[in-house]
Amino acid sequence: MQSKLEQLKSEALLALKSVKDKAQLEELENKFFGRKNGELTNIMKGLKDLADDARKVVGQVANDVKIEIENALQSKKKELSQADWQANLEKERLDTTQPVLPKNERGHFHPNTIVQNDLEELFTSMGFMTLDGSELESDYYNFSALNIPETHPARDMQDTFYVKGHGVDSNVPWVMRTQTSAMQVRAMQKYGAPVRAIVPGKCFRNEATDVRHEHTFYQLEGFVVGENITFAHLKGVLETVAKHLYGEETQVRLRPKYYPFVEPGVNGEVTCFLCKGEGCRVCKNTGWLEIFGAGMIHPNVLKEGNIDSTKNQGFAFGFGLTRLVMLKYGIEDIRHLESGDLKFLKQF
Amino acid sequence: MLISYNWLKKYVSPLVVDAKEVAEKLKASTVEVENLQDQGELLQNIVIGKVTSEIKHPNADKLKLCKVDVGNEELQIVCGGSNVREGMLVAVAKVGAKVQWHGEDKLTELKPTKIRGEDSYGMICASTEIGLGELFPTKDEKEILDLTEKNYKIGLPIAEVLGLNDWVFEIDNKSLSNRGDLWGHYGMAREVAVLYSRDLQKYETKKITPGKDFKLEVEVVEPKLCSRYMAVAMSGIKVGPSPVWLQEKLMTLGHHPINNIVDITNYIMLDLGQPMHAFDATKVEEKISIRLAKIGEKIVALDKNEYELNEHDLVIADNKKALAIAGVMGGKVSSIDDGTTSIIFESANFNPISVRKTSTHLNLRSDSSVRFEKSLDPNMCEMALQKAVELVLECSPEAKVSSKVVDEKNFALTVGPIEIPFSIFEKKLGVIIPEKDIINIFERLGFVVKSKKANLSIIIPTWRAVKDISIAEDLVEEVARFFGYNNIASALPGLENKPPQINRLRNLEKNITSILVKELGYNEVYNYSFVGQDQINKLGDGIEKYLELDNPLSKERPFLRRNLLPNLLENVKNNIENYPVVKIFEIGKVFSTHQAGARVDNNGDILLPKQDTWLAALYAAKKDEAPYWQVRKALESIFAELHLAIEILPADKIQTWEHPTRLALVSTFGKTVGIICEINPLVSQGLGIEQRVGVLQINLITLSDLLENKKILSSYHPASGYPEVVRDLAFLVKKEVEHADILAVLNSADPLIAKVELFDVYEGVNIGEGYKSVGYGFIFSDPERTLTTVEVDLIMKKIIILLEKQFKAEMR
Repeated sequence: MQSKLEQLKSEALLALKSVKDKAQLEELENKFFGRKNGELTNIMKGLKDLADDARKVVGQVANDVKIEIENALQSKKKELSQADWQANLEKERLDTTQPVLPKNERGHFHPNTIVQNDLEELFTSMGFMTLDGSELESDYYNFSALNIPETHPARDMQDTFYVKGHGVDSNVPWVMRTQTSAMQVRAMQKYGAPVRAIVPGKCFRNEATDVRHEHTFYQLEGFVVGENITFAHLKGVLETVAKHLYGEETQVRLRPKYYPFVEPGVNGEVTCFLCKGEGCRVCKNTGWLEIFGAGMIHPNVLKEGNIDSTKNQGFAFGFGLTRLVMLKYGIEDIRHLESGDLKFLKQF
Repeated sequence: MLISYNWLKKYVSPLVVDAKEVAEKLKASTVEVENLQDQGELLQNIVIGKVTSEIKHPNADKLKLCKVDVGNEELQIVCGGSNVREGMLVAVAKVGAKVQWHGEDKLTELKPTKIRGEDSYGMICASTEIGLGELFPTKDEKEILDLTEKNYKIGLPIAEVLGLNDWVFEIDNKSLSNRGDLWGHYGMAREVAVLYSRDLQKYETKKITPGKDFKLEVEVVEPKLCSRYMAVAMSGIKVGPSPVWLQEKLMTLGHHPINNIVDITNYIMLDLGQPMHAFDATKVEEKISIRLAKIGEKIVALDKNEYELNEHDLVIADNKKALAIAGVMGGKVSSIDDGTTSIIFESANFNPISVRKTSTHLNLRSDSSVRFEKSLDPNMCEMALQKAVELVLECSPEAKVSSKVVDEKNFALTVGPIEIPFSIFEKKLGVIIPEKDIINIFERLGFVVKSKKANLSIIIPTWRAVKDISIAEDLVEEVARFFGYNNIASALPGLENKPPQINRLRNLEKNITSILVKELGYNEVYNYSFVGQDQINKLGDGIEKYLELDNPLSKERPFLRRNLLPNLLENVKNNIENYPVVKIFEIGKVFSTHQAGARVDNNGDILLPKQDTWLAALYAAKKDEAPYWQVRKALESIFAELHLAIEILPADKIQTWEHPTRLALVSTFGKTVGIICEINPLVSQGLGIEQRVGVLQINLITLSDLLENKKILSSYHPASGYPEVVRDLAFLVKKEVEHADILAVLNSADPLIAKVELFDVYEGVNIGEGYKSVGYGFIFSDPERTLTTVEVDLIMKKIIILLEKQFKAEMR
């Protein structure tokens, strides 16, 4: 009996070596371990007929043989399965160059929104409130409160849209705001000093449209009022914005410019982001891009805002958001921005 | 405005600086210099030459072979000029010069060449070929420039002999709008003198010796509109060309010389910035009056156009007729002509606003009106008049002053002194500037400064007191711009470092935009706020509900939008041809005619129209017959993000453009915040849109107010530790039975029902006409025990009975 077991073992181990696939393995497994006629199964079944002593000894041997063959079977199984997977994985190859189908759908932000949100985040991080204002504004907030006298050319019908029944000669003219600065005095009246705020928004000018001119455009106004706010601070804030927009090496240059609501007033240029100041098509070979107007808030404006100008002073600045958008993306015609044309809008 | 560098230098000396540097400095401290033109640039390599020999070209009848002495060498040049001859002094463009061939726009650089087999090293030029056509008019195009009479030295650059060695600054007029004092060379020279710390030459004029022959009477009827009127008559005038120096000066700055008298008035204007006028004295009858025009009064101006004036226009008139439109343009009738022998000079100051209004309504702008609009110093009238008389006497020796000098004055300038603490400069600018530098800047600019301990007392010069300087801040600007804005070190404001107040509306806008774009694939559009009658009509809306512009740019779009739809529908129409699916949205303000918004000022109770911010999202696709569901999806996504429950209410009224049976109000917390619908197909077809259009509109002001005031409660409950039981139920009901009603019944059917959700709706084949099949899923649970099948079965039975009773439902 024992020798039969030993023989069975060497037979099984030998046969296993020549097994090539799962079917052969199964056949072999069946041959030894099959429930009905497995050779080892039969021997195990036969154990019960032996005498107690012999059964103990042979049973031990049979069990060892069984475990040994089973282990060999298992390792062969594993070996075959790995080879199988290798072959199958190769068959499962995907074209990884292909995009997902159906196409992933994603909409598009208007480019102005992208630039505006970016600046709003920057200013929020510097402690500026973001304010909205009326687009249809009284001429008081749009002009008079900003130290723009009644005789100023900006108030002419060819520069400013007036609302019927509230025209330029009426008691309380209504205008489509020509600048986000219109919100300055409203904010001062509401919040007093100190105050830090930006006002991004839609503005209107009564001028004929072409590639570079629009009657509707966007600005971002900002102002700071407090006890010791100086021109140097204005420069500091503008430089921060310029570097945020165009990189650390960006420089800011200020030049005198007259705006009735600031004194002194300046316009601001930054080194061209494309040529880094060397001169190129974008900056018309000057190396500089004019992107904002600014200045120290005129005491008359503070007065309209109920702010004591002997105690407080401040600065204000305004960016042409639309201009920033056009520069950022190299948009050649301002009229695309309000065309609602998806061929344009889907590019951002 | 154009400024000649040579002219400037006359007043600032010594000034040996590159014009380019001056331009940069002016830009940094004074005005915007848009361009700087080197007059001689175009005349490089063009010199005076003498034709030493001239023979016929061996191979061409109309060409000549010339030898030309250009000083250091003799050149052979082939020339086609009809008038070329031996001994002639000519302009020779040498190799490397740039010339303009007849009939071509671009300049061509000359190279050595062979013409019909003969070498040619340059070109003998016609005046038009080198940009001197205005100085030397030609009779025919074959005529070369003959300079023989001028006797110029051979070999000298032509730019030098013609005095064309100037640089011309082109100044942006807008940058001069508050600086009336900079509209002439003398004023600009003052700025340059400060920039380089040079002395400004005094502007010298001689007092006029009055005459007695001519009785000159002037009455200023409107002293408010004419703060000063000076005039003097001169006789013995001989009208003719001005001296060459004067003509050259005018031409450098783009003015055509006309005659000596007119040229002198233009010269003074360019020199001092004071516009002047000269009348032919014989064409002026008796007394001159400065009065308002009569309504409908007409005048033919120097530009030969007739202008109809109104009662606000100021005119210079004699007792019969208007002679000039004050400050704008002279009249034809009294103008100087070749036969003029006596003149009246006017040197006056007119009200800037009046001049601007007249010039605007007549659509007539002139060098004079542009200057008066900026506010000029009335003191300048006297200098200008004296200078003009002096120049006439110089150019026309037989002339003499024939009247007294009239001077009607009515002005007072506020020149201060302004008292300011010395510390103000540091306080405003954030930089320390030495006191002596500050005083130096003021004094060179013509201010009178007295230093009193810690204070400065500053008197404003008259030319700055007219308009632009009246308060301390104005004085700070003077110092800042000459100290240099770029020399002020930047700093960040040391404000309290607290987080800014949150703008809820903006946050809501950003949130919604982000969901629509990133999650749902919508595209954001920006539209104009203006709409047209046609758009309104096509919606079936009435224009009386719209605010209208008084002065629209486009007559087609004069109305202010009261909702976002008209332009968005136009966007759909324009895009649907190119895209099978159009998903767009806009967030923007709309304007109400009947609701009031913000105050027009801080004190009164007059209010502006309400201007709410709305979202409108539109969906249209080529094969989608019920895009309502797409915008409903958008609504659900938005409200899910905001953790708001959607409550749908029937519309209380139906707008003409709304699909009456695919329309609902969107509400939350019991407040209506929007509308969800399809566009009535009749309306969309009328707009040229064949597809159905789904629309979601939400009033973001209402919604953000709600979000601010309502606390959104957390919906968290600890999960039950006991298993849930899940059941489905499908049944038929009539189409009209609404989900909301079924849901309400199901939700309240039994306390063990934890959740009811619609999972299927079906209409069509296999279902009776007028019916729909609906499927609901139920989750049962109890936080404290395991439910038994028997009790859930019982509840389901109860539900079925309820549905059969309430909705006549048939189980499937």
